[in-house]
Amino acid sequence: MATVEYAGKSFEVDEDGFLQRFEDWCPEWVDYVKESEGIKELTEGHQKVIDFLQDYYKKNGIAPMVRILSKVTGYKLKQIYELFPSGPGKGACKMAGLPKPTGCV
Amino acid sequence: MAFISSGYNPDKPMEDRITDIGPRKFDEFLPPVIKKNFGEWDYHEILEPGILVHVAKSGDKVYTIRCGGARLMTTSHIREMLEIADKHCGGHLRFTTRNNVEFMVDDEAKMKALKEDLASRKFAGGSNKFPIGGTGAGITNIVHTQGWVHCHTPATDASGPVKAVMDDCYEHFTSMDLPAPLRISLACCLNMCGAVHASDIGLVGIHRKPPIIDHSVLDNVCEIPLAVSACPLGAIKPTKTELQGEKVNTVAVNENRCMYCGNCYTMCPALPLADKEGDGIAIMVGGKISNRISEPKFSKVVVAYVPNEPPRWPTLTKTVKNIVEVYSKNARKYERLGDWAERIGWEKFFELTGIPFTHHCIDDFRDPAYYTWRQSTQFKFTSHVK
Repeated sequence: MATVEYAGKSFEVDEDGFLQRFEDWCPEWVDYVKESEGIKELTEGHQKVIDFLQDYYKKNGIAPMVRILSKVTGYKLKQIYELFPSGPGKGACKMAGLPKPTGCV
Repeated sequence: MAFISSGYNPDKPMEDRITDIGPRKFDEFLPPVIKKNFGEWDYHEILEPGILVHVAKSGDKVYTIRCGGARLMTTSHIREMLEIADKHCGGHLRFTTRNNVEFMVDDEAKMKALKEDLASRKFAGGSNKFPIGGTGAGITNIVHTQGWVHCHTPATDASGPVKAVMDDCYEHFTSMDLPAPLRISLACCLNMCGAVHASDIGLVGIHRKPPIIDHSVLDNVCEIPLAVSACPLGAIKPTKTELQGEKVNTVAVNENRCMYCGNCYTMCPALPLADKEGDGIAIMVGGKISNRISEPKFSKVVVAYVPNEPPRWPTLTKTVKNIVEVYSKNARKYERLGDWAERIGWEKFFELTGIPFTHHCIDDFRDPAYYTWRQSTQFKFTSHVK
């Protein structure tokens, strides 16, 4: 496992750049990841998606289905891709500190 | 190696980005004779194993030579195909839905030259590069998966066993001597990517031991509810455990309920279950997808387990070959393996093939299992209680 140092913090990540522990998440993490996810400036929209993913994960222990993410945030999948070019899994979940998506992806 | 940019700018990843253009349209690559006679074919004949001729209403003919492909191939091998296509076929070729390669020409003399060229090409180890066959009532290519080459959930390899089985059944690839086509497929785990569930002979990798639980990372790398709901038998429940004086969230596996499908590992990397001695292959038979005469059928498990024996899987190849030969000897013309087994009765299938019937083959999964038991007095006495 690799360790990333950024802004005085250190994060343990896997080979795809996902956080190894949700508890390690902090705002600096988002700042660190955003560039590799093709995001220049963090907007309110980004924050809204990240906040919802984290709330949902804390409450339910899983990432929300895409339809739930859309319904609650009000962003259509197209808009989510505009915010997070790599998509809700690889982009938004990674920035929110959620575990790496699994299954036949 | 030095970095060579394709022109992509990582600082502006969305700039000049082309997306949603889909595949190239198939008709850009059609040989002229196919393009001209598209939808106007009159009839076809199989001239000899691996060689077809289609005759159009206009009288045009197209000769097709079908060659076995290993599916997993290098760019040099593809370039060699292209060289052949350039030399004989005006640069055109196609791949079949069973990953054979077909070269097409528009007259008989060209076909003969192409056939001779293909038959002359061998790898340094002696294997045919482009064995001609795979048509009619024989054994064509084996639809298979990734195995130990690339996947993380396999219980067996794919390329290895496929090579071993095809070597053993090669004579049926280059001939059309069976009662009906016989499809063999292989999947390296119960995900059954590909066609094993609907093939005359299906080979599928299975585990025989429950997953190992890595409590130290499970809660961090897994979404626990997903692992719980991944289990078809409800063998997994969320729980807490003590680890180095710390309470951690994890799961517990009821080993009496686990049938080692590995679904939970697919969802949760902290539940690995591959095991060198435990893993092996189950053999299924009798499936088909065509509607010819009888309706499509699922294949059924007849051998619950044969061990993994890399690199040649001798027990597996011997068992498959035996099934093929017994079917070949006993079935009537046009009868697929499943049609034959259902006509003679499964007890006769086991008697003729000499495969020991074990309790593992008796369905015990939920209500539908009941419909696979015999609710009739109709059966044949067999010598087969072993």
